[in-house]
Amino acid sequence: MDNKKINVSFTLIAVLVGFMIAIQFQTVKKPVERDTRDIWQLRDAILKEKELQSNLLSEIRSNEEKLAAYESKRKQSKEQALSDTLKELKLEAGLSEITVPGIKLKIEPVIEEIKIGTPVNRVIPPELLTRLLNELNMYEAKYVAIDGKRIINTTVIRDINMETKIDGHTIERLPIEVVVGVDDNSTAEKLYNRMKVSKATEEFFIENLRLSISKPIPNLTVPAYDDSIRIRYMEPAKEGGDS
Amino acid sequence: MWLPFIGLVIGIILGLLTEIRIPEEYSNYLSIAVLAAFDTLFGGIRAYLQNIYDEKVFVSGFFFNIILAASLAFLGVNLGVDLYLAAVFAFGVRLFQNIAVIRRILLAKWSTNKEKVEKN
Repeated sequence: MDNKKINVSFTLIAVLVGFMIAIQFQTVKKPVERDTRDIWQLRDAILKEKELQSNLLSEIRSNEEKLAAYESKRKQSKEQALSDTLKELKLEAGLSEITVPGIKLKIEPVIEEIKIGTPVNRVIPPELLTRLLNELNMYEAKYVAIDGKRIINTTVIRDINMETKIDGHTIERLPIEVVVGVDDNSTAEKLYNRMKVSKATEEFFIENLRLSISKPIPNLTVPAYDDSIRIRYMEPAKEGGDS
Repeated sequence: MWLPFIGLVIGIILGLLTEIRIPEEYSNYLSIAVLAAFDTLFGGIRAYLQNIYDEKVFVSGFFFNIILAASLAFLGVNLGVDLYLAAVFAFGVRLFQNIAVIRRILLAKWSTNKEKVEKN
């Protein structure tokens, strides 16, 4: 057997062993630091630590008290409660802009049906829109805006002098966009699927209009209702009244 | 013949320079692996001196022993039995035996050398 080969393997293994020993040595080796304080110094140290501890505890207590005070103040504050309620109600009534998941519908004239010389259908019959709205509402649409006009409970869609108006806003030209917002992503998905198979597309097609439905969009901004809501037949109940 | 010792020194220096530290809980495994490595190393030296050295046995024994020792320790930790003590014991006994054999061989060689010198 040649000596050289033996030497090489021996050396390699020796290097490995040395490496392992060094690592083990470094792992086990800890800085030696002896505690040379006597009992009085130790007492001093413990006193200091205790002081620190009590300081920290009192700080925690005061902070907690503050927190509780703020909490109760916030709860008791009528202003906050009122403004919260107002915000909620505004959201519900459609008076504030909202960003929710939803889908976009596009209504445009069917280009193939446009004949040269004949006027292009520029009006969407209000019944069609109402029907579409009803269908959307049926599929849990919460926030709807047609052509940038927010639809609220009192919105009227009607035909005035051959013009389709939504609360006084005229739909002048096609295409228009219908923004439909729902509460969460899964509902948006459901709405999209239902709209895809709904009859609305055909109903629009009969009127030479094409209704295209976008894929669900996670962040869709539905504009706020921009007029003031007139309430004519509603008045606040008297406090303590029996109704 | 001095090459293995130089290798050992180089290994130690390398290990100290790289400043690798393994986590505290694995130092047990490494210690037992080091023991196994030592055992194999001395076993190899003894075999070489007895002229029964086989490189395959040596190299395979080195790795196999390390792995066996580490896995035994691991098993022991998992079973709650200090099985690594078995490895420590086995390797320790063998280490002593090997070193004793090496010492005897070296002594015998030394004395024969001396006799030769005296005869001459």
